[in-house]
Amino acid sequence: MQQFRSGFRDVVPLALGGALYGLAFGLLAAQAGMGALQTGVMGTVVFSGSAQFVAVERLAAGAGAGAALIAGVALNLRILLMTASLRDVLAGRPFWQKLLGVHLTTDESWALMHATRAKGGAAGYWYLVGAGTCMMAMWVAATTLGTGFAATLPAPRALGIDFAFTAAFIAILRGLWSGARDVVPWAASAVTVAVLAKLTPMEPSWALVIGGILGAVLAGIGGRNA
Amino acid sequence: MLELSDFTIVIAGLAAANLVIRLGGYYLGAALPQSGAWARGLQALPGTLITALVTLQLLNGGPAEWGAGAVALLVAIVTRSLPVTMITGILTIYILRRMLGGG
Repeated sequence: MQQFRSGFRDVVPLALGGALYGLAFGLLAAQAGMGALQTGVMGTVVFSGSAQFVAVERLAAGAGAGAALIAGVALNLRILLMTASLRDVLAGRPFWQKLLGVHLTTDESWALMHATRAKGGAAGYWYLVGAGTCMMAMWVAATTLGTGFAATLPAPRALGIDFAFTAAFIAILRGLWSGARDVVPWAASAVTVAVLAKLTPMEPSWALVIGGILGAVLAGIGGRNA
Repeated sequence: MLELSDFTIVIAGLAAANLVIRLGGYYLGAALPQSGAWARGLQALPGTLITALVTLQLLNGGPAEWGAGAVALLVAIVTRSLPVTMITGILTIYILRRMLGGG
């Protein structure tokens, strides 16, 4: 339970940033015709900010349920790669704990857990669950509230809050850095995503997944020499 | 009401798809060999995936985002602190966008 508290506490800055997006999502959902209860249920059972944004935006733009669904799912394929790295956290636990752990896996809780471990901190299953619980509580509260009065709030971009996540992921990368052996995989990932996203018509979410996999493949093949 | 709204379909569909993706990822990772190239690749995955994410976010920005990214990286290297890096990054982008006229 100590780890639950650490995870819950460490993720607060990220959850606050997420809450601003939650308010904005609530506004979008209300404009698309969703109620507060529906929005709260969506946040709890889907629990994936970017996919929710894209799917509801598609619905608001008049696309059908099928198109909205495909857009949201494509954006979430990266989560497959994230939970794939949870083996040592989840293995041997009862099924309900695995279910809870993977459901509470977000970009933020997952990255923070790996970064804390890389820095030598105690961050296992309950750390992940603690961080995920904090993220979910903030997300559901903010999106539900947002359906009511988000129209009166300034846009995240006007305050620079949109950059909060980029800055957070840079800090998390610093925590994950383990020396020279990371150079080639990380550089390959960055170059791949840059080329695919800028020079081809590929969807950015696909470029992201391909870049991440290619970097990991290089780390796998080249690891012996490091 | 038996008729399903588009919202209900999308919410249920996304919830189901997310569950399959999240659980599927775990079982995929668990099924792969625990040592050797596969293990090294999986271990490297968090870093490469987040690198790709940051690259994409910076590419979608302009000079203000690049400048703030550089400042954030410097602060992260020196302080290793998540909240300090976030606050510095937000302040820097706020100032740079004012100076550069929206970035």
